[in-house]
Formats: sequence, structure tokens, C-alpha cells
Amino acid sequence: MSPAARKIVLPILAFALFIGLWELISVSLEIPVYLLPSPSAIWEGGAKLGTSLFTNTAVTLKTILLGFALSCAVGIPLGVLVSVNRLTSEAIYPLIVFLNAIPIISIAPILVVIFGTDETTRLIIVTLTAFFPIMVATATGIMDTPQEMLDLSRVAGAGPLTEILTIRLPHAVPFIFGGLRIGVTVAVIGAVVAEFVNANRGLGYLVTSSTAQFAIPTAMACVVMLAVVSVILYEAVNWTHRLLFGWSLRNDPGK
Amino acid sequence: MAMVPHLRPVDPAPSGAPQTLIELAHAGVTFRTRTGEDLTAVEDFNLRIQDGEIVSLVGPSGCGKSTVLRMLAGLQEPTNGDIWIGGGKRRRGFSEVAIVFQRPTLLPWLSVLKNVLYPVRALRRTTAADRARAQELLEMVGLGDMGGRMPHELSGGMQQRASIARSLILDPKILLMDEPFGALDALTREDMQLDLLDIHASTGKTILLVTHSINEAVLLSDRVAVMSARPGRLQELIDIDIPTPRTHETSAHPAFHDYTRRIRDNIFGPNARSHA
Repeated sequence: MSPAARKIVLPILAFALFIGLWELISVSLEIPVYLLPSPSAIWEGGAKLGTSLFTNTAVTLKTILLGFALSCAVGIPLGVLVSVNRLTSEAIYPLIVFLNAIPIISIAPILVVIFGTDETTRLIIVTLTAFFPIMVATATGIMDTPQEMLDLSRVAGAGPLTEILTIRLPHAVPFIFGGLRIGVTVAVIGAVVAEFVNANRGLGYLVTSSTAQFAIPTAMACVVMLAVVSVILYEAVNWTHRLLFGWSLRNDPGK
Repeated sequence: MAMVPHLRPVDPAPSGAPQTLIELAHAGVTFRTRTGEDLTAVEDFNLRIQDGEIVSLVGPSGCGKSTVLRMLAGLQEPTNGDIWIGGGKRRRGFSEVAIVFQRPTLLPWLSVLKNVLYPVRALRRTTAADRARAQELLEMVGLGDMGGRMPHELSGGMQQRASIARSLILDPKILLMDEPFGALDALTREDMQLDLLDIHASTGKTILLVTHSINEAVLLSDRVAVMSARPGRLQELIDIDIPTPRTHETSAHPAFHDYTRRIRDNIFGPNARSHA
């Protein structure tokens, strides 16, 4: 088998084996469905939801994507701010670290009280969860800029803003995408947490409401859906990286 | 912000005499180290460079050659003395001076043509005339059909050629080169040394070259400035009186060996001659 084919076939085989084993153990040991539903039970639980599984996925996906976009809009400029200027860095970095240190689950219910029970609160929760890795990755990339590149722009007479836009930010692109990859999966978690504490729709809401009714297979079907969404988003970030910033995927010998 | 050397038009020379373009007068740089000690990299450095000259800076490593270059590039403020760069109206970004580094330092996210255009882009929007000029420069360094490539598709020598083209895009008077061929293999290096002489002949740029290679200094320069070890001072200024244009045969010129020996003696002391 060629290495390329192996790379596709092997994981599928391993996955099928995992599902098969799980099914076999559940059935042969007669594990109660509320303790550990078998894959087929999860499938049925999902099927029971019908199209509402997909409409709820769409609701959650919207929260994830909007929240992720907000995280980028906050995280990337903050990353630039804390890395280009010592003053801003010393002033706001501790504050940001403190914000990030707050366990999001603990503050989510409080945010609901403050901001109400609508989408705004959910977006705030997602953003608070996901901006940090994006910010840190941006700052790391900005500070990693080789001195010679900075010298080049200075000798050419570039001002500080031009230097950031034409040298530091492009150089930070591969770093930023590293942050985006983490950020997008964390955004999924943020969206679920937000729906746990404040929603009447969405996959996170379905998980809590199904569990409350001991419909564990249904809840598990939603969890599987969340994992699928997470993987797809992760790959979408990778794909965007390859498509728009292909140059940054190789090690450049002349840098 | 870029630090810019003091600018003052140099006093007009008597007509016919060569014009002084660069003057370093008692220039020195002292760094404050982390432990609070003062470290003098360059001390009381005096050098005048005429318009159109090629001058090489040689010396033991750590003697402050690159610091001298960085002062002229405006990347390092002299802590003592003055630097004057005369002639020509000063444009924004001090574009009388361009620098070529040891590594090509092409921006990997831009095509070769856009890399050549980068110094323009750092100041303003590029125009069709800029792009035509960039293409001309690429042709001059033998990369006429490479403009659309990305830097990683070029060999090390080609990348350095592109970076030389880039240094010329704002039409600077002075080209500062910090061991520009030091990272290249020996054959590419020889090839590019002669190319640099061609570029000098066709553009008339004033070139200040920092090099580790005594042969390279003698081959390329009108004058060689030998620096002493830290603190870096100018130890001797040697006129290289070998006829131009210089070629691969120049190293066979009877005076060539005398010059390299004299420079070696200056750096290592006369007793080390047998090892040279």
C-alpha cells in the first residue's frame, strides 16, 4: 500500500475497530444504556432528534463562528499591542492574564445575570474563552520577527505602523494560525458552556436537557456532533492557512 | 523610529577634487551592558569616503566593523563624534543609504519583484514606474525572468542578487554591504564579486563593504580600512593601486599579494606572516 493511501486507510480502520469493539462490549456485557450507550444506540438517539439535530447544530455553529470572529478581532490587535510596545505590554498584559485565569465556567452564570439571556452573553463567553491563545500566538509571532527584517524596514524609512503592517504581522502569520487552530477548538467549548448556562436551543442546550431526562444516547449524539463540528472547524482553519498563506508553511532558507 | 545620522552638506571641495560623501569624525559607540559596565565597540573612528569609491572595512571579528556600518545606516546612534553624509537632498527614510546584509533577508511572503519594491512600499504606494525600475534592476542582476517567483524558489546566490537589486531601488548614493557574500559558496562568491564591480561601474554608487576576506577586500576596493580589535579603531588606511577593471586575473597581479600580506600583518602582526 502506498504511504498516501495508508495515511487514509489506517485511521479509518482503527476508527472502525474502535466503534466495533465498543459496540461488542456494550452488547455482550449488557451495559445499561444510561451508563454507556452503544454506538448504535447513540445513532438511534441522534435519529430520534431528526432534523432538529441539524437546526440546533446550526444555532451552535453560528455562536461558535461569531464568537471566534470576535476573538480574532480582539485577540490579534491585543497581541500586537502587548508585543510592540513595552509600555502597553507592562500595563495591560497582567490584566489580560488575570482575565484569562478566571475559569470561564465559574463566571458564565454571572455574565448571564449581567448581560441577559440572549446571544450577546453567549458571544461574550466564547470570546473570553478563545481570544487568549490567539493573542499569545500573535504576540509571540510579532516578537519573533528577525532583527534583519526590522533593520531592512528601518533603513528604508518605514514608520512604526508600516513596520507592523508590512513586516511584523506578515511574519507572525504562521504563529497566528497556530493560535487560531487552538482558538477555534476552544471556541467550541466556550459555545457549549454558554449554552449550558443560558440557552433554549443549540447542541449544548440539547446535551443538558437530554441528560436531565436520562436520554443519554441523545445527549451523546449531540456530543458526537460537537466533536464533528470541532474537527471540521479545525480543518477549515488549516485549509484557510494553506489557501491564503501557503508561503508560510515551508521553512524558508533565505530568511 | 529610525535613528538618523546628523546630516550636513560637506564643504564643497575645490573643483576637480573628489567630493567627500561620507565623513566619520571621532565617531564612537559605547554600549551599556546588562551588568552596567560600559563596552566600547568603536572608538575615535575617522574616515572620509569619496563619492563613487569602494572602501572595504576589514579587521578581526568583533572589532566593530558592523557597528560602523550600522551607524551609517542610521540603525545605531553614535555615542561620540559625528557622522556626516553630504550631497543630495535628504528624502524621507534617509534613502541616500541602502544596506545589504549577509543573509538575503528577502520577505518570504512577497514575490521577488515585490521584495525589490519593498523599500518603496515602506514609504508610499508603488507606481508603474517603480515596477518598471524594479524589473530593470532584476535584469541588471541577472534575474529578469524571476520577478514572479517566491524567494524560496531561488538559490542562495540568486536571493542575494535580488537583495542587491532591492538595495538599489530607491537609487541611494551609498551602498552599505555587511559581508554580502559571506554566506555563499566559493564559486558563487567569485562570480558575485565581479558582478558587484560591474554594478559599481554602471551605477557609480559609493560602496562601503564589510568583509572577512582580505582577498575580497583587495580585489574589490579602491581603499581598504583596517580596524584594530576592540575597541575598534581605524588602524591603517591602504590605497589599493591596482588598475581597474579588475577581473579573476587581478589576484595574479604582482601587487595583489603585497597588499594582502600588508593587511594580514596589520591584523595579525608581522610575526604571524608565515602562518598567513
